[in-house]
Amino acid sequence: MTGLFKKGVGALAALTMSTTLAFANPYEKYEGTTIVVSWPALSHFIKAEELIEEFTEETGIEVEVDALQYLKLRDRQLLEMSKDEGEYDVVSWVVMWKGEYVSKGLLTPLSQFYTNGSLVDPNYDINDIADAYLQNGGIVGGHKGYMPGKSGAMYGVPFGAETSILAYRKDIFEEQGLEVPETYDELRDVMAKLHAAGIPALTSRGKTGHQVTAGWLLHLAPLGGKIFDDNWNPVINSPEAVEAAQVMREVVKTGPAGIPTFGFGEAAAAFLQGEAAMHLDTLKIAAMSRDPKLSKIDGKVGYALHPVGSRCGSETGGFAAGIPANSQNKEAAFLFLQYITSKAGDQRMVELGGDPVRISTLQNNTEGFDEYPVVAEQLPCADPDWRPLIPEWNELNIDVLGQALTQVITTDDPIQPIMDAANEKARAIMEREGYYVWQ
Amino acid sequence: MAHADMDTQRLDLPEPMPQPRFQAGFITPYAFIFPALLVMLGGLLYPVFMAMYLSLYDWQIGLDLEDAPFVGLTNFSRMLTDPQVWEVLWVTMRFGFWTITIEMTLGVALALLLEKPIRGASVFRTIFILPLMVSPVVVGLIWRYLFDARVGWINYYLGAWFGIEPQIWLGDAQLAFFAIVFTDIWQWTPFIFIIVIAGLQALPSEVVEASTIDGANWWQQVFLVKLPMIKSILVIALLMRLIDVFRGMEVMLIMTGGGPGRSTELLSLHIYNRAFETQQLGYASAISVLLIVIVFAISTLILTMANPMKSRSDV
Repeated sequence: MTGLFKKGVGALAALTMSTTLAFANPYEKYEGTTIVVSWPALSHFIKAEELIEEFTEETGIEVEVDALQYLKLRDRQLLEMSKDEGEYDVVSWVVMWKGEYVSKGLLTPLSQFYTNGSLVDPNYDINDIADAYLQNGGIVGGHKGYMPGKSGAMYGVPFGAETSILAYRKDIFEEQGLEVPETYDELRDVMAKLHAAGIPALTSRGKTGHQVTAGWLLHLAPLGGKIFDDNWNPVINSPEAVEAAQVMREVVKTGPAGIPTFGFGEAAAAFLQGEAAMHLDTLKIAAMSRDPKLSKIDGKVGYALHPVGSRCGSETGGFAAGIPANSQNKEAAFLFLQYITSKAGDQRMVELGGDPVRISTLQNNTEGFDEYPVVAEQLPCADPDWRPLIPEWNELNIDVLGQALTQVITTDDPIQPIMDAANEKARAIMEREGYYVWQ
Repeated sequence: MAHADMDTQRLDLPEPMPQPRFQAGFITPYAFIFPALLVMLGGLLYPVFMAMYLSLYDWQIGLDLEDAPFVGLTNFSRMLTDPQVWEVLWVTMRFGFWTITIEMTLGVALALLLEKPIRGASVFRTIFILPLMVSPVVVGLIWRYLFDARVGWINYYLGAWFGIEPQIWLGDAQLAFFAIVFTDIWQWTPFIFIIVIAGLQALPSEVVEASTIDGANWWQQVFLVKLPMIKSILVIALLMRLIDVFRGMEVMLIMTGGGPGRSTELLSLHIYNRAFETQQLGYASAISVLLIVIVFAISTLILTMANPMKSRSDV
């Protein structure tokens, strides 16, 4: 009898455990599923591969990664997502591409998953993800088409997102008796002083095309400028825009030799090799400066907020990830996205050397990451509208601004006429694309 | 009578068999030509006609072609009034003029110097053709770093040997243009050299010896005997380089990306940028059609003025 009782209790316990396990494992239904992820072969994503292994181990969902050079990523993704049945279940895009992907009907709105109780982790806490990152990379269809608003929807979550901070050489500033600049006036003053002392001041992107435009845009937002007013009239000849161009010219004159040939890699290398005293661009410079293969300045770098002009405004960029409309494994893909951007996943990315997207992760990891407190303080100022994320932006960015700003930084021609001419060209493009038919 | 017999005999001959419409050997040459014809149609004519077709649409990557709006000749009218197109065409023509002129001169001069068996000639020849073996992307990378303003060897040695201040070679419009011309000359002069030296070595020695006996000096032999005799080879070399100038873009893409401004943006690079940077495939196709027309016109002109086949038959 006792034995029978014990067997009964054991059976009940086993049944309870198995039932509990069945309910406790939201991944069970998808075990054995294979999803294909398309993302760039960049540092953050390479480091995430270990997180993927852990995801597979925990969930039973297999993940194949198609990591491509980031310049080839868009063409490949567009090709795959245009098919009736594409290969990709998760795609990671540069934030500039989100409008194009959505306008072509290539992405799945994430709301259909957030309404499914069996998929959503109640501890996910989406409000903990930095607003600027989420708005910049994941929201489409609201104000101006690419900002949040009542007509907007969420198509992606940030993963590998970034903002800009100032990195500076503590040793040089100390030797020269300089204060770290907090405003643009101070920044320009420091640039002039460093140049006078024979030290290249601020490195920057400056190569013709989107690189020089990116360099200029970093100054445009804090100086109070915009690309368009609220009626899509270009205002790249405004006093603020001209002042930002003037700053670019000063950066080239006081910075390391060759800025007009620098893309991001060259600009960063100039700082990391000790050939410039400051770097004002993405926060990724911090991880790079700690990497002994890339950097000669580890331990000498300090971080500060992006200097303020008439307002504070740092860049928002990098990547977000979502689910193609033609994916065959959407729910498993959502579980993957949720896993890698969860609190635990974000923390794990920090441990693996990647960039977090959550405020709590930034606040909880100050040890060994000097830039995190600065980034956490910078993010409320990050401007998701620092550049327009519209399909025409490529042409404006490369053909119009990319050419005009090259003239600014490689000649001594007056800036206002250069920007006036660029403004006219931008207007012609917007007119051609039908932006003024309602006016 | 004899004639009558012969006629009778001829009349008695059996009727000749009707000739088959296709003799056994008739089909053979066409059978051999067919695969090449197929490759030509598939690999050359199809893309050309496709480019012409696409140029009539406003097509962007990611949209089905069926969904792309038909715009007729709009892309062509936009192209003809687009100052960017004329600007890059001018850059391409300047680039072609300087590179081809210098490459032809240097290539021919080197071939004339090394045509005679001199000590170490084979080593020189091998060294001269090395740049031809390097892929254009690698050439672009090598010279991009050699011309680098901060760490490039060119600035270093100009400073160390001549005391010249470091130059921002690829960040200044004129210097960048010079840099891409220099790089192209470095890579393609060996091509002219190798073709011309092959032509010179194939010349019949009797003609050159005869000119020597007639008292011609070295210069007269070069300009009145040798070069006229290899004219067909020179024309082919010129034509191939000219087509390459309009076709090539890899080195410029890597070294300068077409900048600063558009100072080094050749027509082919401009087409690439239109197609894959600004995603205007229809417009890029229209400019491609312009490129085909230009190359076809120049090739026809050169072949008409100095037909290598004609001069070969003259010889």
